[in-house]
Amino acid sequence: MNVLGQQRWLLTGLGVIVLTNAIVLSGAALNRIGEPESRLLLSERELALPYAGGSRRANSGLALRLEWRVALDGDSPHNIAYARYERQPDWLDEKRMSDLGFDTRKGAATAEARQAFLRQLSRPALIVFELAGPAWQRALQQARDNADRHAAAAAANRGNREFAEGAKAARAFVVQEEAEHTRLFAIDAGSDAATLRQRYPERNRFLILRGTVRPAERLRDGQWTLAGRLSEIAIEEIHVPYTQRAILDELSSTPQGKPHRPAPRYEVQLAVGQRLEPWIERIARLPDQPPPAGDIGSN
Amino acid sequence: MNLLARLQNEGVLTLDSSQQQAIAAHHTSLLASYVRDFAIDPTRRARRLSLGMRVASLLGALALAASVFFLFYQFWGYFPEVAQVSILITAALATCGLTNWLQQRDTTGYFSKLAALVAFTCFVLNLAMIGSLLNVAPTDKALLPWAALALLFAYSGDQRLLLVTGILCLIGFVAARVGTWGGIYWLHVGERPENFFPAAALLLALAAVGWHQPYPGFAATYRVFGLLTAFVPMLVLGHWGYGSYLDLPPDLIEGGYQVLGFITSGLAVYFGVRRDWPETVNTGTTFFIIFLYTKFFDWWWEVMPKYLFFLVLGLIALLVLLVLKRLRRSPGQATR
Repeated sequence: MNVLGQQRWLLTGLGVIVLTNAIVLSGAALNRIGEPESRLLLSERELALPYAGGSRRANSGLALRLEWRVALDGDSPHNIAYARYERQPDWLDEKRMSDLGFDTRKGAATAEARQAFLRQLSRPALIVFELAGPAWQRALQQARDNADRHAAAAAANRGNREFAEGAKAARAFVVQEEAEHTRLFAIDAGSDAATLRQRYPERNRFLILRGTVRPAERLRDGQWTLAGRLSEIAIEEIHVPYTQRAILDELSSTPQGKPHRPAPRYEVQLAVGQRLEPWIERIARLPDQPPPAGDIGSN
Repeated sequence: MNLLARLQNEGVLTLDSSQQQAIAAHHTSLLASYVRDFAIDPTRRARRLSLGMRVASLLGALALAASVFFLFYQFWGYFPEVAQVSILITAALATCGLTNWLQQRDTTGYFSKLAALVAFTCFVLNLAMIGSLLNVAPTDKALLPWAALALLFAYSGDQRLLLVTGILCLIGFVAARVGTWGGIYWLHVGERPENFFPAAALLLALAAVGWHQPYPGFAATYRVFGLLTAFVPMLVLGHWGYGSYLDLPPDLIEGGYQVLGFITSGLAVYFGVRRDWPETVNTGTTFFIIFLYTKFFDWWWEVMPKYLFFLVLGLIALLVLLVLKRLRRSPGQATR
């Protein structure tokens, strides 16, 4: 009945398993050979513990979630809060989308042209992330300016509850920007790692990771333009090595006394290898810090 | 035995009692050898039980595979990485060996099917979890070794469940590759249903090659999945022209795919009847009716009274039955 003899097929099956594993393991080894492509010291702000829930109980493995964001223009409170979740950076414009291989020839002048652009699917791209650089400083300054404006408005409208609450929220947001929100900003994208590295040579500040970019459109000052959205990062959850788990297990099993954590509790040395695949080299517990001055708990 | 009694009753054949006993003994020993060697069902009761065993075996295989999956996830974090990788590879190799051992001993195939699905699950877990452990970017290339192992189990143990699994992996791999060659990210392959057409062509071509001859139902399975991989994207594109690669107005694309759907499902019925492929006729007929009904829905659902709409659908079904009946009686059809 069988074309393959039983012995032959067993050897073939074992061969498929062994060969596939050999390819995967040698690829991973190749990634980690030599000096890492980049090596950054991140904190809990950038590499967060997974959300607690039912799926955590069924999975004993532990991976940290890469938290990143993009810088946005505009300084209204809505924009500032929204920027943490927005993935459509200003720098990802028509020219950059064309460089990434999207067809932008029809332009953005008509609805049909924009529709033709938006019909294109996500493309792989290499995304550059900057840690605690000018993009973060700008976001921090935006939050402070916003808090100053709200404080001035509250002072001018003394006794008005709405203004007072707005000022309080803006102040709390500054505290979060200073101590809690991620400092990792996506600042550029391209298709060639060497070119990007030449443009951003500091390997302890700029991280290059694989991701995908999707077409988008942008309306500004009544004018439509072609744009892009960073739709996902290929590896957004990074496995925690067994030898480094103890600190995080202790943290994730300790109930938090305060509604907000005031400061990062650990730092992580993250390396990215030749194939732009990351791994955790070291995790260290940070000393406990006193609660911040702003009353963020009552937000 | 029934045939022999009938021949004797009608006077076609006359055997004395010793000859009748010899034939009866021969039949009994033949059936016993078939039961022993091929696990056939000699009686109606045995056939009914076999069906129950097949269902139990399928459910058991799926449940065991799920159990292995969750078992790994529940405990893998308690081992160092080297142990995790060793356990994953050893589990895949050991269950592959176990499947082979069972296939040589289990003539019914029920237990080897269970083992084969568990072995396949172990291999899927093996690659998926090593990928997570080493932070390897997800890739469609993993579908190829998964397809290879599933097809190997299918052909070595005559297992159609594993054949379907292997075919699904193959469809995913080919479609993802086609999408990747077009520059798109492989996980978004479903957003352009046309990516599945090359996989459909490949499956229909594979159905035509001769190596399935010793495996009853394998060629038919390739044909059914080949047709499904062609018809489902056509059905989707027939109502969602926006999802096409073609740079044409969506209405035109939808109309084109609706026409293509009618033509290809009609051709499937035609070739199915000509070549005596019942599964092809059934798949073609089903999709022809689906294409027809969705079109009627578009045209008439809003404007027709509901009783009339369903009456038309019923009459169309009757018409299809009459056409198929005529085709079945047609003397010109092939008798292969």
